[in-house]
Amino acid sequence: MEKKYWKSIGEVRPSDSQQADHKEEAGQGPSSIDLLAQKTDTMPASRRDFLKWCGISFVSATVLSACENPVKKAIPYLNQPEELIPGKASWYASTYLNGNEYCPVLVKSRDGRPIKIEGNTLSSITEGGTSARVQASVLSLYDIGARYKTPLKNGEAISWEEADREIWSGLMRPGPDGKRKVLLTPTLLSPTTKALINEAMDRIAGLETVTWDAVSYAAIRQAHLVTSGMAVIPGYRFDAAELVVSFSADFLGSWLSPVEFSRAWAKNRKPGNENPMSRHIQFESHLSLTGANADERIPVKPSDEQKILMALYDEVASATGNPTLGAETVEYDVRALASDILQGRGKALVVCGHDHTDMQLLVNGINYMAGSYGATIDDSRSLNLGKGDEQAFEQLVKDMQDGNVEAILFYKTNPLYHSPDPEAFLQGLKNTPLSISFASMKDETALECTYVLPDHHYLESWNDAEFKAGYFSLAQPLIHPLLKTRQFQDSLLAWIGREEDFHAYLQDHWYRHIFPQQSFHQGFDSFWVEALQSGVHDNPHLGGIQLSWTGEGFTDAFNRLRSSAGAAGELEYCLFTNIALGDGSDANNPWLQELPDPVSSVTWDNFAAISPGQAETLGLHEGDMLRINDRMEVPVLIQPGQARGCISIALGYGRTHAGKSADKRGGNAFLLSRTDGRGRYFSGKVENWTKTGGGHLFARTQTHFSMEGRAIVRESTLDKHRENPAAGNELREYHLKHMTTLYPEVPHEGHHWALMVDLNACTGCSSCVIACQSENNTPVIGKDQVRRRRIMHWMRIDRYYTGDAENPGVVFQPLMCQHCDHAPCENVCPVAATTHSQEGINQMTYNRCVGTKYCINNCPYKVRRFNWYEYATREKFNTHTTTDLGRMVLNPDVTVRERGVVEKCSFCVQRIQDAKLKAKNERRLLRDGEIQTACMQACPSGALVFGDLNDKNSKVSKLIKDPRNYHLLEELHVLPSVGYLTKIRNPKA
Amino acid sequence: MKFFSPSNKKHLPALIPILFFVLCGFVVTAMVAPGPQEDTIPAGTEVPAMDDFQEIDELPDDTVTTAMDTVTTAMDTVTTALEAVPVSEGPYTRTELRRGERLFKGLVPFASGMHDCSSCHYTSRTDTLNWNPSAYDMARLWSLDESYSIRQKLANPVGMRMVADHAEMTITPQEERELEAYFERLVETGPGELRAIPVNAFIFWGLGLLMALAVVDLLITRKVRARAFHVIIIIIGLVVHMQYAVAESRALGRTQGYEPDQPIKFSHLIHAGENEIDCNYCHTVANFSLSAGIPSNNTCLNCHNVIREGTNSGRFEINKIHQAEASGEAVRWIRIHKLPDHSYFSHAQHVNAGGVACQECHGAVEEMHLIRQTEDLSMGWCLTCHRDTGVDFLDNPYYKIFERLHEDIRAGRIDAVTAAQVGGEDCMKCHY
Repeated sequence: MEKKYWKSIGEVRPSDSQQADHKEEAGQGPSSIDLLAQKTDTMPASRRDFLKWCGISFVSATVLSACENPVKKAIPYLNQPEELIPGKASWYASTYLNGNEYCPVLVKSRDGRPIKIEGNTLSSITEGGTSARVQASVLSLYDIGARYKTPLKNGEAISWEEADREIWSGLMRPGPDGKRKVLLTPTLLSPTTKALINEAMDRIAGLETVTWDAVSYAAIRQAHLVTSGMAVIPGYRFDAAELVVSFSADFLGSWLSPVEFSRAWAKNRKPGNENPMSRHIQFESHLSLTGANADERIPVKPSDEQKILMALYDEVASATGNPTLGAETVEYDVRALASDILQGRGKALVVCGHDHTDMQLLVNGINYMAGSYGATIDDSRSLNLGKGDEQAFEQLVKDMQDGNVEAILFYKTNPLYHSPDPEAFLQGLKNTPLSISFASMKDETALECTYVLPDHHYLESWNDAEFKAGYFSLAQPLIHPLLKTRQFQDSLLAWIGREEDFHAYLQDHWYRHIFPQQSFHQGFDSFWVEALQSGVHDNPHLGGIQLSWTGEGFTDAFNRLRSSAGAAGELEYCLFTNIALGDGSDANNPWLQELPDPVSSVTWDNFAAISPGQAETLGLHEGDMLRINDRMEVPVLIQPGQARGCISIALGYGRTHAGKSADKRGGNAFLLSRTDGRGRYFSGKVENWTKTGGGHLFARTQTHFSMEGRAIVRESTLDKHRENPAAGNELREYHLKHMTTLYPEVPHEGHHWALMVDLNACTGCSSCVIACQSENNTPVIGKDQVRRRRIMHWMRIDRYYTGDAENPGVVFQPLMCQHCDHAPCENVCPVAATTHSQEGINQMTYNRCVGTKYCINNCPYKVRRFNWYEYATREKFNTHTTTDLGRMVLNPDVTVRERGVVEKCSFCVQRIQDAKLKAKNERRLLRDGEIQTACMQACPSGALVFGDLNDKNSKVSKLIKDPRNYHLLEELHVLPSVGYLTKIRNPKA
Repeated sequence: MKFFSPSNKKHLPALIPILFFVLCGFVVTAMVAPGPQEDTIPAGTEVPAMDDFQEIDELPDDTVTTAMDTVTTAMDTVTTALEAVPVSEGPYTRTELRRGERLFKGLVPFASGMHDCSSCHYTSRTDTLNWNPSAYDMARLWSLDESYSIRQKLANPVGMRMVADHAEMTITPQEERELEAYFERLVETGPGELRAIPVNAFIFWGLGLLMALAVVDLLITRKVRARAFHVIIIIIGLVVHMQYAVAESRALGRTQGYEPDQPIKFSHLIHAGENEIDCNYCHTVANFSLSAGIPSNNTCLNCHNVIREGTNSGRFEINKIHQAEASGEAVRWIRIHKLPDHSYFSHAQHVNAGGVACQECHGAVEEMHLIRQTEDLSMGWCLTCHRDTGVDFLDNPYYKIFERLHEDIRAGRIDAVTAAQVGGEDCMKCHY
């Protein structure tokens, strides 16, 4: 292990002592001991007080315990629904839809309430993967604080009938000449909703729609219209690519279809698989999840990215005999890259994450010349994303300001937060007589609208989706609407005078348009039931496209890019969506707010990421408040790997009227985005910046769990791995040879559970973290408590940097309880609250725990968590389980922990018990793969494998024999049940 | 005699532990006194004062009602002219209430003769099962149903029991009104609570007193010369007190012997015992869910759509199922077997996979009219069973994975495998 790993830049650059580790620790706020000492110093508390309290607690405990047992009722159903078994969960297929995001899901329903989201394995797009945001979406259903409870008029509750009557008269009346009635929506994936909107536009005189996305992919469409004659977004096949070159496309985190891409990308990243291991090169300005996983990462600011792309285009063009367009030379060796791309035609894939038509044009050109179309790019069907029209939106704002808009309706869109110029929009909105928002959760736009007609949560709605042409999925309600809300589609149906509800409309639409296209089912009923049950319906015969290469547009693109290129030394900014909040539409989800960003490990905040060298040049320190372009304010974070000359800021933060968890967290970076009539750009020049203050405190989990420079993550390269499968893992052999123990061997009769983590497949996407939180009732504790390092997640993603601080290598390592056979925590518990089970699980018995925390101190992996306060029930910390409605999200199979007890990963013992019971009742052996821990089930890339080591044929017993396998801190000989597969990278030799 | 002579003062510290035990006595009595835990019906438990009725007396039409009082009092003896007397309207008077209660309890005769309603329809709670509707039950029904008329019910009895028991019973409108006055009071006072005689508390306190006396005599009064007498009393007292303390603290939070009245007098003896209905017929999900399932109303109606009358309770109890159906409000049974929230118990595991009979944990349910918790459901009780009970080791293929144990059986080292041997003592089998 010659590589030096580090977790914060203070470790490698002592000169940055401002940001050094110890300073940071000090910055985490006063320790509780200090606070206690301070408190006892200032308070006249004494021994007498102590005795008094002792006396009172003794007496009250005695009196309380002497009370009668309360009478509890057992109230059965009056008429029990046939399909519902009390105490037993059932799963229903549905579809998560949120703007650009799409994921077919299975929803676990227990006693009539949805409590957990899983991926739908029947989907050919996501194959059962999920993202952190999909996992967390169930919590928003019960967000009583932020959901609208009734329809509102000017902030006052009114009835649906009243609202309908008033709006109907205003909406149906033909407006004065030239006045528009506009329904503003994001790109809609639901074919039936689109059909219904079209019908409504026929029936309501003058109603038109404007499509506008907060974060758009329209440039890919525009570019294909120019180069290929069709405005489409083709499918990207990362599993077919041997070389992936990405220009800022965070395809593992947030770009287009990250769940699908993670799975496909990971298929080529496991050295044991039959697919050859791919090489991944990433050009980007901020250290994204995707960049962190790349074999080669080149931090460049956005304008340099354009130059490299142009140079690469020229190189590829000259190598393939196409006309070159005269790109200037760049520092990066694009010639070598071009020859790699062209080597083995149709094996490379170039993607670009900038919503910039000219850049996308060049990418299309490179991909075309490299023969990627039809090979690594599926050019036979289009993704239904990116249909937003920025120009139409700008025109709309102008018309609104001029008073030319009669009525405006907002469906799933929040321009007062998402638009680059909210002031102009607000002014326009005030000039619009009728404004209606269908927002389900509180948002900035709904606040200013005359009417708010709240939509259902997606788990209360019927819906459908066609993410990729011909690939349909259905969404069905899991619960009766909790509040007086009405589905947007039902509102439209009511206004156009249709009697049926959207369920019937949806069925009818499928009957008329989708059912006749297939031939498998004879009757519609069986077709519908199957589609509903499986949640997805694939019909690859539908929606095929035929691209015809025009080869146009490149010269213009070059000219425009050249003219817009900034001067070399200019400071630029780049905005991105992170994995937790995306575009910020569900920023009020406390699980997502408290999810540590996998790279920066910051929770509850966004920040301006600045490279260490740049910060030094600019004289900025971590926590300084930066005002950028006079538009927004955001604290500085020194981020290793950030491109010099560029400040990167995450979108989705800085909400003002979204609810308790979201409001005033970070700054709204949408304000920095700009438009130029052709599109909207999320990068640009920093015209001016000022330091407005300092001392902002981040709640980072970074230094919580340092492993002090031992061989925790092991790495090697593909070439070395081919020579020696145990490359990078030489220590393992040494430890196996030398290990000895005083403890008796623990025989594991029956089962011996184990979990294998493939560091090569893990992208750090953190969906496992939220899945674990959702499954195991882990509380949210708030920013202040996170700063005190009390975060309760049972599973965390550790991130290690290696190498140069300006461009470090990054390794992610999921860490949960290692379930050691010789667990150090067990020996030190004075009350035997943590013990070892026959099946190899390190058991934690909450009702026995008295909170000495000896186990936490003795755990070498720091995976145990202590409940310092009543996190689950105190409003101060928690934002969701303090109300009856919020508590409905809790998993009844897992105890909600009290204050003063220790908790940790249990290997999802409730799922183990459930699966074992099923096998016993069915009188059969337990099958391998039958038990999926929550983290394993959520993982989109298949990095986690759980199983029984006593079953010699199980996947996990095979993996544990892999020469890449190692255990954490093997030298301690605590014999963990969790194994890690050495990370193999594939850099160019 | 001086109470506190200087020479005695040195004995004072010895009083402190004694006083402590006496204090503890207060506390422990609170635990002992309630006796069998009874359902305390939440609604209407407060006992209304008679003031409510006095207030009514002071209403403006006071004179009319007082006049009526005198008339009705006179009528006590003159029964023939009753029909002619108009029945009063408005709130019930004190006199009506008093007479209603007396009529119901058989203290004064009805016009048709002497009937003691309360001999069948109990007016207070008892610890024996009475199949007839209690006075409170009837009063509640009367209060809920506007059209409920006591006279009508008596005039047109339904069901064999009711016909037989109420033969020749007729009442006058005035008597009906008086009974209604009594019913109204009953609805307000609620069914009342069962007062158990706290035998344990008597023993506890008696001994406490004796000990206190012994201490006082030993140290101060010194009437009894033989010191051994004091010492023996104190030792016995302490032993008994400690015994109580241990027993009571062990039983804390446990409800062994709990046998509350249920909202419907449902008899497991009749259903599961005499009629031999399988447990699974009603508790349908016991084989595959955590919970055994309390049968929903429609399960009852499967049979009771046809069976409208029972041998013991006539139609009254069965009618409650139909009332629930009509009102849309499910029956609120009182839960008896409860485990703490941090214990996960699966019926499917025990009933289906384990093949444990229901009676092992729930007692001989088929012999009980009212369900009583026969076991204490403590962790020790669970573990004892896990250690002693064999699993279906050889026949259930699931257990094939326990190779060493199979080896042991083949070699004759053991002849059965208990739950504990396959991990039944692990904490995380029940606590997670």
